[in-house]
Amino acid sequence: MKLSIKIIILLLYCTSLFGITGFEIAKAVDERKAPLDMTADLKMTLTNKRGKTRTNEIRSVSKDNSAKQIIWFFAPADDKGVAFLKIEHDDRDDEMHLWLPAFKKIRRISASKKGDAFMGSDLSFEDLTSRDLDEYTYELSGDTLLDGQACYVLTVIPKPETDTEYTRHIEWVTKNKFLVIRAESYDKSGELLKIRRIDYTEQEGYDVPVRIYVENVKKEHNTLLTFEHIKLDTGVKDALFQEKNLKRLPRR
Amino acid sequence: MKNWLSEQAVNHPKRTLILLILFTLFIGFGVKWIIVDDDVMKMVPEDMESRRSWDAILDEFGSHEMIFIAIGDEGKSIYNDSLLATVYAFSSALQAIPEVDNVISISTVDRMDSDDGFINISELQPGPNLQPDEIAGIKTYLDRHPDMKVRLVSKDENYANIVIIPMAGIDNNTFRNVVVKVVEAYRGPYEIHIGGHAYLTGTIPVLIREDVMNLMRVGILIMALILLVNLRSFPAVGMVFSVILLSLVAMMGSIGWLTLLTGSEGFHFSMLNTSMPIILLTIANSDGVHILTKFFKELRISGDKRKAIKKTMHTLRMPVFLTSATTVAAFLTLLSSPIDQMMGFGICISVGIIWAWLLSITLLPALITLKNWNINSKAVSRTSILEKTVDHFGSLVIKYPKIVLTCGVLIVLTGLWGLRSLKVEANIVTFFKPGTEMRDSIEFMDRELTGTMDLEMRVEGDLKDPAVLREMDGIQNFLEQYPAVSTTISIVDIIKQMHRTVMDDDPEYETIPDSRNKVNNLFTLYAMSGDPDDFSSLVDYDYQTGVITALMKNISTTRIIKFVKSIRMYLQENTDDHLNVTITGMVVILKDMVHLIIKSSFISIIASIVIIFLILWIAFRRAIWGILSVIPLTAAVILNFGLMGLSGIYISHITALLSSIIIGVGVDFAIHYVSQFRALIGSGISQAEISQEAINDVGYPIILDAASNMGFGALLFSLFIPIQYIGGLMIFAMISTSLGTLTLLASLTELIKPKLFKLKALQ
Repeated sequence: MKLSIKIIILLLYCTSLFGITGFEIAKAVDERKAPLDMTADLKMTLTNKRGKTRTNEIRSVSKDNSAKQIIWFFAPADDKGVAFLKIEHDDRDDEMHLWLPAFKKIRRISASKKGDAFMGSDLSFEDLTSRDLDEYTYELSGDTLLDGQACYVLTVIPKPETDTEYTRHIEWVTKNKFLVIRAESYDKSGELLKIRRIDYTEQEGYDVPVRIYVENVKKEHNTLLTFEHIKLDTGVKDALFQEKNLKRLPRR
Repeated sequence: MKNWLSEQAVNHPKRTLILLILFTLFIGFGVKWIIVDDDVMKMVPEDMESRRSWDAILDEFGSHEMIFIAIGDEGKSIYNDSLLATVYAFSSALQAIPEVDNVISISTVDRMDSDDGFINISELQPGPNLQPDEIAGIKTYLDRHPDMKVRLVSKDENYANIVIIPMAGIDNNTFRNVVVKVVEAYRGPYEIHIGGHAYLTGTIPVLIREDVMNLMRVGILIMALILLVNLRSFPAVGMVFSVILLSLVAMMGSIGWLTLLTGSEGFHFSMLNTSMPIILLTIANSDGVHILTKFFKELRISGDKRKAIKKTMHTLRMPVFLTSATTVAAFLTLLSSPIDQMMGFGICISVGIIWAWLLSITLLPALITLKNWNINSKAVSRTSILEKTVDHFGSLVIKYPKIVLTCGVLIVLTGLWGLRSLKVEANIVTFFKPGTEMRDSIEFMDRELTGTMDLEMRVEGDLKDPAVLREMDGIQNFLEQYPAVSTTISIVDIIKQMHRTVMDDDPEYETIPDSRNKVNNLFTLYAMSGDPDDFSSLVDYDYQTGVITALMKNISTTRIIKFVKSIRMYLQENTDDHLNVTITGMVVILKDMVHLIIKSSFISIIASIVIIFLILWIAFRRAIWGILSVIPLTAAVILNFGLMGLSGIYISHITALLSSIIIGVGVDFAIHYVSQFRALIGSGISQAEISQEAINDVGYPIILDAASNMGFGALLFSLFIPIQYIGGLMIFAMISTSLGTLTLLASLTELIKPKLFKLKALQ
């Protein structure tokens, strides 16, 4: 038997074994049912390699899968009143506005690089932006048990023309709900840069994250985001995502 | 025991020879485990204040060691696409080095712009290939931000500055090597100058070691020639050298063995150890010269080889033992040194001296026994010109003892007076002669860029409090008034720049905001899109500790001391309790370390003299003999350091070690003289003859020993100024120790001989 025929048979066998392709898994993750809007109180704890921490308490309201998002800072006391507004656009640069109460000024800011950190955390703007399915290739690398959950192990590689800070991601996707519960991201030198762990809760028929832990392996820095008082599909209006609302610190 | 060893050597010379060579080779096998370690920081005690602050800075903010590279062309502006593309590629290549933490250059820094309320943090140089408008944009931005420009561009805008900072824990030697490797790839189209403390301390030890080793070979050759001219016998010179070389092998081997057995970094071979072979050579040479000259004298008298060697060993057994014991004791005083490597230095050199003693009392008699000596040869039958000269000189000393003593005392007093002018220099730039490539590069960087020295100040306080920030600003302004300081950097500069940017780039607002909330808002603004690590080299995570860096041109240690003193005074008068400041930086650490080495050397000198006195008091059973023995070496130490003071030779950690040679050799000469003097009293010689006889017996070997050691005057031709000083001072040390013995000691014993005879009689 020729070698190529052997390979085809082997590939067919593998496909039948897993019964699903990498792309199908990625598509399932992307098309997972998501709320129209979400309001939550977040605690973001940043820890550096010396074990020192900074904690921010914020209220986040987002819509359209976080394409629109407004954030108000409650704590620490020095940051109270600072507010941030982000509106993503497909055809032009995203809008980002920051209200600086001490200066009584709103300033527009930009992230010139996708790899720039978001709010000093280990999450970059790229990490927070939903991935365009066609910009990557997906390979099912196997399956495993992670925290008692059966998972697909998916290798995601950006296509050459894709603008990204990473060269590869390995994701653990639960078989039952297509939730990414762990992800490893590799930098341009091919070395492991970040590890993400995500815990979800089921609320009103949605699986929403309640705890996101991101570790930058190289900088030995990590970020822990915990979500409380989550409200979904409350009918948040587009009008909320305007500069004037940055100055209106909501009650806790 | 000592007698038994010599007897064995004479009776069983071949067996002795084989056993000694085998033992020496076994010890020498230890060289396999020698670790060459040029990390200067390992010499610095961890409890030293400037070191503690430095370590704290290293821990909190990463390394502040820097290598500076200037790239460009004389007369051509850096604002052209070709040079900027090279700087971009060069900086990227440097950033790709695993040992490098950070590279600061036009192509790596960020710019912060404000345009109609739009804050943009982006790269100053967006890429390698720039359009004319982009180049003009870089120039305009730098012209608007002179604080940033001074760090990145030379005064005449002909050179771009690249600053490279290593990962924490990378030693300067490794750091220097990896950077130089990349630099070599970029040499060619543009002029490249390299400088910085990390570069120098990474480069110097290897260069010095190579230079000293080369010149030492010349020194050994001169030593051999001097010995040959005077001993007039190749085998005799060979015998002296066999002791020297085998003891060197044993000493070097002991360094390796002790490293292996103890695991201590104190036994690593550092720049400090470079002088060990020279010290051991001079000390090991001494016993051989005394034994052989004595042997020739005895052979001339008796004509019987066995009788002559037995008589020689019997006479010199005690002085050879005492010279070694006292020298070992002197070096072991370094055990009290706060610097581990000095302790290792003392122990290993002691091993070498003990081995040289063992070889002198066994190997030499064995070799002498094995050789068939021609009694009619010049070496044996005739006295050399030097011997005759010394005898003549001795008669003059004895004829005019009071004049000789008075002159000697006056010279020593002059030396004492010179001690007042002794200056310390720890600036390693002064190691290089003006006109050398290294010195030219450093001077170029001082002239055109920010210089290559840096001073760090660790500040503790609430670094979001405008009052504290204003105090920091005040400190920076004070530092910048000092002519050698080119610029200063701290979180205050970033806050001022952010303040200006947020206030629509109005230069009026390049100030510290008036409220803590505003300061905090600025940090939050930056954190929204900047890298959280951007400030990590300036302020700690909770804004409680920061660092102020002053980039400086090279200045002498004396000026550093004065500068640090003036900073301390400023801090005392202008800062409150809520700001705690400690001063550090490599220049300060080096200054403190050199002071420590010098202090430890001086303590060691005093302790050595006291211990030597006690040993000789016990050995000679009278304090007076101990006192007499330490007089010449004490005088030589005073004279040497006094001469350094008078002639403007700086004392550094390298030249301070010269005292070890003075002690080691100086005590040997005095012991030989005193031992002979005592032996002569016991032999029943008359008071009239004793001094002349003593000089006749030991004067020649003392002078021959000193003269042969002067071969190390070859170090005068070193490329490094301190090594040249060592060469010059080595010659002076030999003259002062040998003449000190044959003038001060000889005239003094001549003057008090009736009392010495009486004491011996009582004994």
